[in-house]
Amino acid sequence: MTEMAPAQEGTLEARFPGVVTHDERKGYEGYIVQLDKLTEVAQVLRDDLGYDFLSSVTAVDYLAQKEDEESYFEVVYHLYKSTGGSALVLAVQTPRDNPAVPSLTPLYPGAEFQEREAFDLYGIDFTDHPDMRRILMWEGFEGFPMRKDWKEPYFEEDVKPFANRWPGGQVYRIEDHNPVGKNNQYPQGFDPESWSPAIEDALYDSLRRSNAEYDEIEDLDTEQVIVNLGPQHPSTHGVFRMAVLMDGETIVALKPVMGYLHRNHEKIGERNTFLHNMPFTDRLDYITSLSNNFGYALAVEKLMGAKGVPTERAEYIRVIMAELTRISSHLWAIGFLLNDLGAFFTPSLYAIEERELLLDIFEATTGSRMMNNYFRFGGVARDFPEGVLERIGELVTERLPRKVDELDRYLTNNEIVRTRCEGIGVLSPDEAIEYSMAGPMLRASGVPYDVRRADPYSIYEQFDFDVAVRYHGDVYDRYLIRLDEIRQSIRIVQQAVERIPDGDFLTGKNPYQVRVPAGEAFGRVEGPKGEIGFYVVSNGKANPWRYHVRAPSFINLTALEKMCIGSKVADVVVVLGSVDIILGEVDR
Amino acid sequence: MSFFEDPIKFLAGLLQDLLVSLNLHPIAITVINNIVGALIVSSVGLVIVIFLIWLERKLAARFQDRFGPNRAGPFGILQSFGDLSKLVLKEDVVPDAADKIPYNIAPILSIAAVVLVWAVVPFSVEWIGTDLNVGVLYIAAVGSFGILSVLMAGWASNNKYALLGAFRAVAQLISYEVPLIFALLIPVLLARSMGVNQIVGAQDIWYIFVVPVAFGIFFIASLAEIGRTPFDLLEAESEIVAGYHTEYSGMKFGMFMAGEFLHSLTLAVVTAALFLGGWRGPYVEQLPLLGPLYLFLKAGFVYFLIVWIRSSLPRIRIDHMLDITWKFLTPLSVVLLMAIALTDALLKEFGQINNTALYVGAMIAVNVVIALLALFAASRLNSRQRRQIKTFEPRPLAVPPKPAAPAAASTSEEASA
Repeated sequence: MTEMAPAQEGTLEARFPGVVTHDERKGYEGYIVQLDKLTEVAQVLRDDLGYDFLSSVTAVDYLAQKEDEESYFEVVYHLYKSTGGSALVLAVQTPRDNPAVPSLTPLYPGAEFQEREAFDLYGIDFTDHPDMRRILMWEGFEGFPMRKDWKEPYFEEDVKPFANRWPGGQVYRIEDHNPVGKNNQYPQGFDPESWSPAIEDALYDSLRRSNAEYDEIEDLDTEQVIVNLGPQHPSTHGVFRMAVLMDGETIVALKPVMGYLHRNHEKIGERNTFLHNMPFTDRLDYITSLSNNFGYALAVEKLMGAKGVPTERAEYIRVIMAELTRISSHLWAIGFLLNDLGAFFTPSLYAIEERELLLDIFEATTGSRMMNNYFRFGGVARDFPEGVLERIGELVTERLPRKVDELDRYLTNNEIVRTRCEGIGVLSPDEAIEYSMAGPMLRASGVPYDVRRADPYSIYEQFDFDVAVRYHGDVYDRYLIRLDEIRQSIRIVQQAVERIPDGDFLTGKNPYQVRVPAGEAFGRVEGPKGEIGFYVVSNGKANPWRYHVRAPSFINLTALEKMCIGSKVADVVVVLGSVDIILGEVDR
Repeated sequence: MSFFEDPIKFLAGLLQDLLVSLNLHPIAITVINNIVGALIVSSVGLVIVIFLIWLERKLAARFQDRFGPNRAGPFGILQSFGDLSKLVLKEDVVPDAADKIPYNIAPILSIAAVVLVWAVVPFSVEWIGTDLNVGVLYIAAVGSFGILSVLMAGWASNNKYALLGAFRAVAQLISYEVPLIFALLIPVLLARSMGVNQIVGAQDIWYIFVVPVAFGIFFIASLAEIGRTPFDLLEAESEIVAGYHTEYSGMKFGMFMAGEFLHSLTLAVVTAALFLGGWRGPYVEQLPLLGPLYLFLKAGFVYFLIVWIRSSLPRIRIDHMLDITWKFLTPLSVVLLMAIALTDALLKEFGQINNTALYVGAMIAVNVVIALLALFAASRLNSRQRRQIKTFEPRPLAVPPKPAAPAAASTSEEASA
């Protein structure tokens, strides 16, 4: 599982002599592309070499640590082939003053939100980006928080553990020394008291821009209305807002607005030590904590090399837990999709009943129902307690298959469900790949891409399971695909429970501190919501230099407008439900 | 006449005697009598609603595998009183930009529209607010008031969600009036009277067994009329927050809520009166007190159906809903009305057939034939084609480019038939 693409190595450098060079830094395995040639290279990669899936776009701030070093921003791209295989990592470097990078959004529309995020947090300007606005921070925010020289209002130290905390000595609260208002930063001439979120010209302008393509009904004098669905709205699954331009009940344009739950997860992640971040990943998508753990553990283990290889029993435990998480997440998604359709909680309560049983298992094993904090580098935190494995076996052989069939029987052929879901929010396979959709969204559009098969990790190659795929790309298929995947996950757990070997659950001791060599790594797993990836850069110290989350919920929202235009208000809610977002992960 | 034979008449007699003994003017006596009667009839409904809310929550909870309210009082029966006092104590917020007069009238109108219907509901052989000879027409006319309250609330709130709710209300309620009234005409036709009590009196065999299709149409149309699932688009929670009453709080919201529950109950009672034989049942002639019991048992059955549907079905989209009424229910109800009229006339007027079994058999046969024809036509004319299998070309399973892919990596292809 190297990050290199050996077959392309010669070709790419040979094709662009002097433009593309192999990344020679220790622990890095990508290519560095000349800034002004990026679009050209990406065009060739997409059209000729088949790297059509842009999984992740992010930036890293390489601020000089010593006198003789050079400071620069690096924008890192992870490209994949939609036919499977490992990543091609591209990086471009731009100076820290007036950083600007050509936007890849025209080539890969899926980069839209990720580039906006990089602009928002690093201040890198992506030229030719169609809609360059802040995305997670609020409009009146001063500065770019992910830059290494940016300090938050209650800044203590660059990295944890902080000296003032137990057991190092006295504990004091930083707030007492640094009262609020002293070091808050606002743009020049900005008065926070008079700022009103009602003045959101940039957002509404961008709505009207995308409205230009809409054909108005002829001979009918209509007026288009802007309606803000959210942030306080029953069906946005949290504080999420959709600014919608409507003609009657028909959607003309839609812009998602997010960031209400933003807590700068990645900045906090860079302050933490590597091990600190493990419980912190739980808080991303709190329905699928164990999958998040899995992705992060993989990324750091890649960096650790031989020390970080998990034991065989640990791999089985990981697979069992990750697949149970997938079942519970999909049950939740199906139940709440029906709620969005207007069913009065009955389907969701039926689904949640089964999820509770899975949470009981998580509680028995990890000590917590949702915030599991279970994976460790090289294994898991503890073994299954007595009887739990048998209980899992019972569940996956008897109860769960029966209950999934029951849901299937009650819901799948319901006439209202079918009329409401069929042909709604359609994404074609090409669009799904372009928009970097992942997980059930991608597979419902007829692309049989599952990271467990396409770029195998852990021990998934040893299990016998099918990649569910459907061919209509609508809401109904996204519902069906989740049912299919529950069944496949049940198959995997059945096999794993039977074959799980005895042995240690962790390689070596469970340390307080891990040594992670310098380098970069991207750990990606097939989470229930899609491909969840962690991009970790280490400089050999105790804390990650860069900790980036490729959040599937966030990136899947890129195509929301595409899916909703032309449908009714009622459909927007259903399409959003079918994307299955968790705001903890979208806003990070 | 003793109290137990007919308590209402007994009490009415007492009141009459009392008023006469006070030497009041005869007109004053009539007015006082009527006001007392109206108060009693309208408060019956309002008091029942309090328990109805509890019942609905309990039932819905059972459908969903949970307990429902079970803390306040035995079986949680006092829950509604708690809710009610909360609503009364809550701050009454009126949006600045609201149009105050319609904003404040709307909740009153929403309850009034429903309470008025109770005037013509026969509770027992002779217990009826007022035995109008055009009772059914009155029900149809007064029932439409409710739409006005929704419109006023939606418009006056100055809120986009409320306005959307009002848009939908106009489309939905007005469309469903049509099949509702056609279905209402069928019992009128069979009983040869528009008086509700006469219709009940004519049901030697309940009309649900004579004209089941009419019952079906009436039931579906009344679900839409009261805005219950699957037709709860006016206040679709997951789409437009609370629809037309988004901006209401406190007791004004409470009045909308009570109005909605009362409307459901009222339509259940009307359904029971028109199709399920109203107060009729064994020994009701001897003991009129049994009448309301029978009526509310039957209404309870209809209400149970409503709650059952509410807890099981998702919501229909607005365009589908209008399709159902204009393209299916309305033509069906017109055809049914004509067919029933024709059959009835043939059998009763020309054929002089008084054999009940034959008459009912023929009616049911006509119903079944029309229902089957309608379903056949609907399935043939259904413009919405089922999706074609595989809209998109299948692609190969994504696997790493290695010489030998694992054998297990096959694509599951369970596309729905």
